[in-house]
Amino acid sequence: MSDQTNTAAFNYAQTINAMDQRPVSDSGIEGHSPLHHADLAAMAKAQQASTGTVELTELKLRGHIVLRGKLESSAFTQGVESVLGLALPGTLKMVVNGDISIRWISPDEWLVVVPGERTFEIEQALVNAMQGHCAIVNVSGGQTILRLAGSDVQKVLQKSAPIDVHASKFPVGKVVTTVFAKTQAIISRTGDQEWELVIRRSFSDYVWLWLQDCCAEFSLVVRED
Amino acid sequence: MTQQNRLNSGGRITRDSQINFSYNGKSYPGFVGDTLASALLANGVDIVGRSFKYSRPRGIVAAGAEEPNAIMQLGATEETQVPNVRATQQELFNGLVANSTNGWPNVDFDMMETFGKVGGKMMPPGFYYKTFMYPQSMWDTYEKYIRKAAGLGRSPLENDPDRYDHYNQHADIVIVGAGPAGLSAALVAARSGARVIIADEQSEFGGALLHSTELIDGEPADQWVAKVVAELATFSDVLMLPKSTVNGYHDHNFLTIHERCTDHIADRAPKNTSRQRMHRVRTNWVVLATGAHERPLVFANNDVPGSMLASAVSTYINRYAVVPGKQLVLMTTNDNAYSAAFDWKAAGREVVAIVDTRKQGGGVAVTEKAKSLGIKVITGSAVVEAQGSKRVTGVSVAGLNDAGDKVIGAVSQLSCDTVASSGGWSPAIHLSCHTGSRPTWNEDVIGFLPGETVQKQLTAGAINGAFDLASCLAQGTAAGIDAVQNAGLTVAGDSAAASAEQVDVNKPMALFHIPHPKSTSRAPKQFVDLQNDVTAAGIELATLEGFESIEHVKRYTAMGFGTDQGKLGNINGMAIAAKSMNKSIPETGTTIFRPNYTPITFGAIVGRNCGGLFDPERYSSMHQWHLENGALFEDVGNWKRPWYFPQAGETMQQSLERECLAVRESAGVLDASTLGKIDIQGPDAREFLGRVYTNAWAKLGIGKCRYGLMCGEDGMVFDDGVTACLAENHFVMTTTTGGAARVLEWLEIYHQTEWPELDVYFNTVTDHWSTITVTGPNSRKILEQVVDDIDISNEAFKYMDWKAATVQGVPARIFRISFTGELSFEINVQANYGMRIWKAVMEKGAAFNLTPYGTETMHILRAEKGFIIAGQDTDGSVHPYDLGMGWAVSPKKPFSFIGKRGMNREDCVKENRKQLVGITTKDPKVVIPEGAQAVNDPNEPIPMTMLGHVTSSYYSACLGHSIAMAYIRNGHNRMGETIYYPLADGRVVEAQICSPIFLDPKGERQNV
Repeated sequence: MSDQTNTAAFNYAQTINAMDQRPVSDSGIEGHSPLHHADLAAMAKAQQASTGTVELTELKLRGHIVLRGKLESSAFTQGVESVLGLALPGTLKMVVNGDISIRWISPDEWLVVVPGERTFEIEQALVNAMQGHCAIVNVSGGQTILRLAGSDVQKVLQKSAPIDVHASKFPVGKVVTTVFAKTQAIISRTGDQEWELVIRRSFSDYVWLWLQDCCAEFSLVVRED
Repeated sequence: MTQQNRLNSGGRITRDSQINFSYNGKSYPGFVGDTLASALLANGVDIVGRSFKYSRPRGIVAAGAEEPNAIMQLGATEETQVPNVRATQQELFNGLVANSTNGWPNVDFDMMETFGKVGGKMMPPGFYYKTFMYPQSMWDTYEKYIRKAAGLGRSPLENDPDRYDHYNQHADIVIVGAGPAGLSAALVAARSGARVIIADEQSEFGGALLHSTELIDGEPADQWVAKVVAELATFSDVLMLPKSTVNGYHDHNFLTIHERCTDHIADRAPKNTSRQRMHRVRTNWVVLATGAHERPLVFANNDVPGSMLASAVSTYINRYAVVPGKQLVLMTTNDNAYSAAFDWKAAGREVVAIVDTRKQGGGVAVTEKAKSLGIKVITGSAVVEAQGSKRVTGVSVAGLNDAGDKVIGAVSQLSCDTVASSGGWSPAIHLSCHTGSRPTWNEDVIGFLPGETVQKQLTAGAINGAFDLASCLAQGTAAGIDAVQNAGLTVAGDSAAASAEQVDVNKPMALFHIPHPKSTSRAPKQFVDLQNDVTAAGIELATLEGFESIEHVKRYTAMGFGTDQGKLGNINGMAIAAKSMNKSIPETGTTIFRPNYTPITFGAIVGRNCGGLFDPERYSSMHQWHLENGALFEDVGNWKRPWYFPQAGETMQQSLERECLAVRESAGVLDASTLGKIDIQGPDAREFLGRVYTNAWAKLGIGKCRYGLMCGEDGMVFDDGVTACLAENHFVMTTTTGGAARVLEWLEIYHQTEWPELDVYFNTVTDHWSTITVTGPNSRKILEQVVDDIDISNEAFKYMDWKAATVQGVPARIFRISFTGELSFEINVQANYGMRIWKAVMEKGAAFNLTPYGTETMHILRAEKGFIIAGQDTDGSVHPYDLGMGWAVSPKKPFSFIGKRGMNREDCVKENRKQLVGITTKDPKVVIPEGAQAVNDPNEPIPMTMLGHVTSSYYSACLGHSIAMAYIRNGHNRMGETIYYPLADGRVVEAQICSPIFLDPKGERQNV
């Protein structure tokens, strides 16, 4: 349709508005993660000495950046790789490099998670690396990550999601966006007994209530990020 | 109390742990390992219910899911009441409290017995239909009796205190039934490394082997079961589910399994433990090894307590060490049932006779054994009638002709207290039917077999009509091998079937209905369906009245309608209908089954989706503040939005007026975070907006905002909102709170299916941004206090502009748009900082009486300005012109837009459509109820000519009178005219049509 598309490359950075959404680092201003009100830190402190079969950690205030683009566009794929040092993962795959990860979401969508304080630096680098049509969207305020570790986590997932979480069907490094109880989650397996859920901010209290209820028959322990 | 019918040895009960239970208020002893039914029989309880129509005493007939009579109300407290539990499937625990559900006032002395005959005549087959057809007014009278006599349980009056939950499971192979066939299949599958789920509804695995006296691989069958179960337990990918009924077999090999986790332990589940669990299973292959149900024979007075299934007699003796009587007469059409008599004899009680309906009698093995035990066998004969009322006292035996449809020779009497019968076995094909497969009749099996299936399904054992142990073991093993291979795995380990002795038997006789010396209609009642009191005579009458389809016969007689769903009687009923119509059984056909196989509790269906987890509640990042400041909440979609913030002592109306006046006079603040926000990027973003909105977007400059209406293809408005241009190819669209997901889907659908050539991406950022709307004449003064870096004067920051700014150290986008008609600023910050900025705004706004307000106040404020709310003032039947919003439609756009053709249909452009207008009442205090209909003439006789309804209606404190938005036919051309609203309470409200913009029609207040 558009002339710009036909001429393929245009300077992406000049066509969109990306802004640093965090206060300057020396401002002393701290954000509230979606589960701030649950005061997980206090629970973690109280449960420091306990062990659980389900250990929950909110990986809070990370930078969440959505990438939309076409795999056929080498400008897009190479641009991402040059900035993140990671190639875009294929269908249902998640890749990790230190504190940066990429989750495959759909055929033209990925979620990049980076340290919170580096969000805009990386977002801007990605924006500047792009040519032509794509979309890079900061969604850091809209979601959070729950890490679940322990011997009963697989059962928790079985009680919550219809997807098959058996190791033969859901190996380490797999990621799916799917139904979780009555909301949705991006579920990935990061270890034999370790999983991460990316959940929506507005549903996070529901997920927290659900997980506590779900774990009534197990032992749930909260850990500090 | 002694357990008079309990044997001193044998059975799978634990004699050293006696437990007590209560039945109809009386305490009885039993043992761990009993079912409620076996314990009742051990204690000599003969009567467990009264029949539905005739109020006849009824006893325990079966030992499993097919039991029609022993339907109990369980529960020691009101909150733990469970209705309609089959005593034959309820494991006994100490303290169990059971009550019979039918029989009024009690089962032993039943008032209805006196009325029984009346009831019977009152309720011939087709009773309901006949009653409904004849004077309809009579139904109320009948109904009271029927409900009371119907004999089903009651629901608890208090909330169930127990937990129920769901579990999602996946498997390569699901095996239904853990009898010889199912266990054999499971063994092969497990050894081959498959992910296996094997479920069985009984308390332990083994199926019929739990009461069998046969040998497997030379050892007692129960020892073989124990060995197999022990081996299966060693495989981590094998899930064994005893006490678990596969209740539904759905499309694509999805099964629902209902596990009773703690029903066998106590009245209430232990803390944090689920009482019942619904397994939702997806599997590659299914092996149905569901076995078969024994058919009773239909003879006169076959419902008298003491009349049982032959296999049930064996089960009670061998598994529970209970002999349910003293003198047994066994009637059979097959060799298999002889074992009931042998077991009875072995228990030391008297077998009066085996009555074999076959002229040639049984095969050599059973005949020899009967002879050696000194049991009299009467061949070519049948029990034509039982005597007794509260217990069988004897039977009449007579010879049968070869066809089995006529009594020949003299009738002789035998004394007995128990009459067991077996008409052969009906394969348990229920689950196969759930998937839509039509069963087929097999003459050799004398039963329906699973028909062709579209599922990845195998069957093994008695469900295939293989009624001998050796065949069950062989078929189970074969099905296990097939399932493994079909699932793409390789058979590994020992895959040889276990062996059992093969016995030569004589062919069973296809006999269902035992003739009586009198005709069926004149003989004593011959029951087919014990739960619904359907008799052979009733079925014959139905066919005589012209019901030929078996589905119609079923509905006309109510055969198979009870909680047992015809497990016991259906095949007999079909055979009787076929005989009555001179048709074969295959010609007559069968009714089929649907889920659930047995009744299921609501708790198991609901799982944890109840109470606080019933539906997710979505919260904004400022929710905690709203809670702490006394907000009342309104549900908008799944969001909890502040409705209004009452102060101490205020009525709702007082709160609303205070909040409204604060906004109009100084400043108010609203949490607008819940509105949908969609980030739109791409070179064709602008073009796309032009196609989904009715107005033009080509010239919207960077830094500008514009309001848009979104219509369906039919031209009707379904959502609206403001979209801002962030950069040349970058926009952010806002939607209504409830419409956010739908609008995003709408955009994606059109992009993916209609205009994939447009280069544009949509991403939801609803949760990412917190939106704080500061509005009112003093809002700029408050903004000046919190904005760190930019000029927000009217000259620098114009109405319908947005600007990037820093608010109290946090980067923000501020939109100067207004839904109140006042000077307004919508501050958007990343949600992680929403609470911080909200609090900062509140703090700085205090000097200006900055007042938090909720959705109700927002509704009033926007109504004063005549702004619509999509979904409240629209209902899918109004286009922009009906709303008086033609200004928001640009018909001249080069490319069409969604709804353009729709809103130009003949009906949409005709005169006299209902149009949105404002309404003021003659009495300024009267607020017309929303939904009220306008009329021109309040004195017109009913039905009056209705002009349209009120969509929004409030009292406006700012204006000092009530205001309303309403549809009026041709309303735009009727300004100033008087109309009337006749109300349900008889009042008539006189009102005047006006512009819906009640306040500041020139829009000066928002532009300062």
